[in-house]
Amino acid sequence: MTENRTRALLHWLLGGWVLLVILAAFFYAPSASGFKGESARIVFFHVPQAWVAVLAFCVNLVASIRYLRKRNALDDARAAAAARLGLIFSVLATVTGSIFAHVMWNSFWNWDPREVSIVILLLIYAAYFALREAIPDEERRASLSAAYAVLAFVTMPFLVFVVPRIYWSLHPDTIIGATGKLKLQMESRMLQVLFGSLAGFTGLFFWLYTLDVRLARVRLARRGREEA
Amino acid sequence: MRSSTLLSEILAVLAKELTAELRSRVALNAIGLFGLTTLIAVAYQIGPYQIREADRPHLLSALLWIILFFAATSGLSRVFVKEEDAHTAKTLRLAARPLAILGGKYLFNLILLVGLYALIVPLYCALMGYAVRGVVGLLLVLVAGAVALAATTTIVAAIIARASGSTTLFAILSVPLVLPLLVMLIQGTRAAAASSELAAVLPALQGIGSLGGAVMIVSVYLFPVVWHD
Repeated sequence: MTENRTRALLHWLLGGWVLLVILAAFFYAPSASGFKGESARIVFFHVPQAWVAVLAFCVNLVASIRYLRKRNALDDARAAAAARLGLIFSVLATVTGSIFAHVMWNSFWNWDPREVSIVILLLIYAAYFALREAIPDEERRASLSAAYAVLAFVTMPFLVFVVPRIYWSLHPDTIIGATGKLKLQMESRMLQVLFGSLAGFTGLFFWLYTLDVRLARVRLARRGREEA
Repeated sequence: MRSSTLLSEILAVLAKELTAELRSRVALNAIGLFGLTTLIAVAYQIGPYQIREADRPHLLSALLWIILFFAATSGLSRVFVKEEDAHTAKTLRLAARPLAILGGKYLFNLILLVGLYALIVPLYCALMGYAVRGVVGLLLVLVAGAVALAATTTIVAAIIARASGSTTLFAILSVPLVLPLLVMLIQGTRAAAASSELAAVLPALQGIGSLGGAVMIVSVYLFPVVWHD
């Protein structure tokens, strides 16, 4: 009962926080100079979506490694849940990035290295589910998709750090630049909203992830009872 | 003592692969004919004069790797799929340890790729009028590319053989993993074509080498899981 109340309270807090971030993105953060109209405000949603897509990839990796070590079906469900959300958030990051590119440069797609990075991440997620759907046997599906997830994660640093450094990019340099020094070239109110949004989207991800995992736990328990 | 046994097992698996391939020639024919057909289609439709001078460095290096990669995908997955098709996988599991099987199959795919490059690259340069200034640089990029590409495609081939054995699934799984590698290979080839200095291809070689090395190390840990499950 107490657990349910805490959960309900956390949900309300998360909802309130996300609502606050949306309002702050439009009314608290100042307009950015050098951008068309109010287009720069999309950064408060686009960057957290891309961050959650990468976070989901990391959660997927951890759950996959745990599955390979312990062979617990719930870890496979955790990996799949993270990948499902990662796929959704990488689609959202791609769409919001494209909308911004169209407003700024009159083109939905510019083959920028970071655009390509997020699309490859999307392709990896899609391939992960294509692999899962191709294997009817549950244990084999879990172990092979976990192996693929680990393998795919190896290419990730090259997509995020190496390829964007070989090619010129429309995106601003990452927060930590090539010299290793911290680069924060944003007005402080904009930074507050951006970090607030990052926290909100991270909370949203973990809420959706927990829902999916709880559902999987119930399914596994029911099947266990049926088999017993 | 143990390492020499492993080496002899790897060489035995490689010898078995080469003997079986020379008997059936399925992968050799698929890769060679796919490469030649694509090359002829590209050379016939585009040729050395259809591309503007300013676009040549970008387009010619990209076209070369598109031909090489897609020709490779037509045959590299067979290395594990044929064991499942012929029901010989169980015998192979008893005959050699997983690392020896991975090593032998990897070397076989590497030989196939080197053969494909030896056939297609000189023909491509001749038919497309691709003048390469840094021949040594290009050779280094090709060798590094073959080593890294064979590493990725061999472990993906092992996964799809245990999944459904479909070559469509092989393309779906390998393309996202190979794309960063292809980007670096195209960049390295372009740098080699433009300059005879080895320093020009060094950034690409570092990227290709580190990606290939990382995939190889992860494959060594993952392969026993994929192979035995």
